[in-house]
Amino acid sequence: MKITYILFLLPLLLSSCIEIIDDLSIHSDGTGTFKYSINLSSSKLKVNSILSLDSLDGKKVPDLAEIEAKITEFKNLLSQEPGISMVKTDFNTSDFILKISIDFNSISQLQSGIKSVLIRLSKDKDQYAIEEDWISWDGKTLNREIPSAVTSKVKSFEYSEIDLLKSGMYTSITRFDKPILKTSNSNCKLNPSRTASMLQVNTFDLKLNNSLIENAITLTP
Amino acid sequence: MFGQKSELMIPQEAVTVFSINNLDLLKKIGVDQLISYDFMNEIHQELFDGSTDNKSLKDAGIDFDQRLNIFYGKTQNMEVSGFTFGITDQAALFSVFDDFDPLPSEINGAKAYGSFFNNLVIKNNNGLLIRVEPIESYVSSMTDSIWFSRGNLSPYYQGFDQNEAFSDDELMSQDISYELLEKNYNELRDSIQYVLQHQYLSEVFKGLFQEGKSLYSLSQPFREVLIHPVAGVFYMDNERNFDRAKNLWYLKSVLPSLYLDIQELYQGNIITGDLVLGAQSIDFNITASYSEPLGSIYLEMNDAKFDKRIAKYIKEDQSAFFTYTINLEHAYNKAYEIVLPLLEKEKNIDLSMNVLTLKLANAFINKDAVFDAYKGCMFGTFNGVKKVKTRKIEFFYNEDTFEYGERETDAEEEMPIFTLGFTTGRPDVPELILAHLSTITSNFEKTPNYWVYNKAIFDAAPLYMINTDGLFILTNDEDLAKNHADGYGKAGLSNKTLKTIKKAGSMSGFANLKAVANQFPTDFLLPEQVPLMESLRGKSGTMSLRSGKTTPRNTEISLSYGFESSEDSGKHLLDMLNTLYLLTK
Repeated sequence: MKITYILFLLPLLLSSCIEIIDDLSIHSDGTGTFKYSINLSSSKLKVNSILSLDSLDGKKVPDLAEIEAKITEFKNLLSQEPGISMVKTDFNTSDFILKISIDFNSISQLQSGIKSVLIRLSKDKDQYAIEEDWISWDGKTLNREIPSAVTSKVKSFEYSEIDLLKSGMYTSITRFDKPILKTSNSNCKLNPSRTASMLQVNTFDLKLNNSLIENAITLTP
Repeated sequence: MFGQKSELMIPQEAVTVFSINNLDLLKKIGVDQLISYDFMNEIHQELFDGSTDNKSLKDAGIDFDQRLNIFYGKTQNMEVSGFTFGITDQAALFSVFDDFDPLPSEINGAKAYGSFFNNLVIKNNNGLLIRVEPIESYVSSMTDSIWFSRGNLSPYYQGFDQNEAFSDDELMSQDISYELLEKNYNELRDSIQYVLQHQYLSEVFKGLFQEGKSLYSLSQPFREVLIHPVAGVFYMDNERNFDRAKNLWYLKSVLPSLYLDIQELYQGNIITGDLVLGAQSIDFNITASYSEPLGSIYLEMNDAKFDKRIAKYIKEDQSAFFTYTINLEHAYNKAYEIVLPLLEKEKNIDLSMNVLTLKLANAFINKDAVFDAYKGCMFGTFNGVKKVKTRKIEFFYNEDTFEYGERETDAEEEMPIFTLGFTTGRPDVPELILAHLSTITSNFEKTPNYWVYNKAIFDAAPLYMINTDGLFILTNDEDLAKNHADGYGKAGLSNKTLKTIKKAGSMSGFANLKAVANQFPTDFLLPEQVPLMESLRGKSGTMSLRSGKTTPRNTEISLSYGFESSEDSGKHLLDMLNTLYLLTK
């Protein structure tokens, strides 16, 4: 479905001036909250110009109402998934900031819920890529990586604005009830109480090397 | 009739013709190179295949002493396109155009051939390659009419959930269960299209070959333009474009006599052009002809003087600019004098009331004040791409908790910079409007030299308005508003350029192609258009437009492209044609 394609690829196409935050909180009982924010406010002109077009690169450009409808559909479908609750979305159409917040009973239910909805929405031929795991949690160690569906798309983009690409930022935050023992990614920062980790990578580096965001976080026993 | 010239085979339905006289320019160009131009796709997609490798047009048996005439026409029911050319060697022609099979011909002394889309007629060593297509909307309406008269439901009604997915087996079994002898909607549509296509093709051939009616035999202006000793000529019959305009169907059917009167006004509305190839220039000299009543309006419209105050707001080294000077008040008065009597003759009550409203408005409105507010002299410039200030939301983090918040900060984004301005004798009018708008929204702000409308463009970039010295200027160029609100001074247009603009009449324009190409934002070009823009960046050339003399029967316009390059003008011409094609399609 083209609109889904554009909705999820637009941030990546515009990664020249984008801020993405994924913020995952996991409690000791395995429940938690996943927050995802995409901030395109520094590309307002460009986003508005694209939205004013009928099509871009041979693909129909959706209008704001269609994008909002797609976000609502995502929210409604995700709310029906087992182990998922309190799905909230907020789309600021003047600054182009999308925020999603999801409560979950377990990491595996969060992952399978998101996969299931993406498959239903995308009708993409390459569903195997979406079905791949990108997060796992065994109660002690959390492993995260970028799904290959995203990395293969990212690799295909051309670097026409290399200087600007470097200003984009991807921030991955993970919070726990217990202190963190160690992390596999040397760029990962811990807060003073060691209960939260933060990994920041600029989007240009991420395009060159998608393993930069990979991280295994192990908690103290 | 068909002595030696292929232009005699252009059908009467053709409305636009581009005729290349000097085919020498194509001799050195290989078929594969020529067909690599995107514009060739439209006329040759069925002609060439892998068998054309290493063959030049010369190998195609084409007569280079004759013109190549590319034509297009549209009537109420069909579209006609194709080209005519001379032939020296038919066997060689078919070695390149090898997709055609002979058709049973009913044309005296001619042989007809057909491929999937096109038809080829050869008569006395002249070739006509033609495609006739029924208008899609006409085919659809005829299909709908037959489809529904048979008691069918809408072909788009599916009676089941649109999102329901069917397997291939399910779809196959559905197809099998359909009544095989009854055509489905698409099959019916294809049949109608096929029948109409053949009917229209027969009509075109009948007119051309049995009745001897070609564009050449019927149009005196077309015959005249063909004798011009230039590299190429252009012909467009606007009178017939008017006649087939879809939005006039109401006028045609409800107010037929008014339609005829207006049609008379458009009589003789023909545009012809000469293409002159110089050593390092390509000139396109256009003549727009029209009827005398319409000409009298244009004459009044062009009775205007260029306002030289504009000159200081256009830089001498500007990448691109245009000026447009007309006398709106004179044009209005003349149009009122000519068009109102036509409207008055109609007995239709609605139209009559509209005429009364128009008369009352004419009597009560202070026209001098209206036409003083916009005097008819305007200009526009392209100032390249610059960074403009915008605002953005950024996230900030608490280092102890990694919690984050949002704050608004300054940002910069690139955007094309344009300026548009016009002369006004009533600076108080825009001032009144802007002052009023500023009371409605705080986005309008007044500074000593200009007004600014914040977030005007795409809800992000500001628009500046300069209201000074009898000019009202709109721009997104911060530098112009803040530092040059009184003009660019000595950097403005030189007296020499100013003189050229004054001489140009109502329209003048200039573009430094290399500068424009270098500054043009390629972000929104299609991938296949980007290399073309890149190739333009390697060329140095200027394009200038000027309108010339206006008489009661015609106006002259010239478009000149000058370049400094070792490439010949023929190659430049093809490059330019391709650029125009890609940027306008």
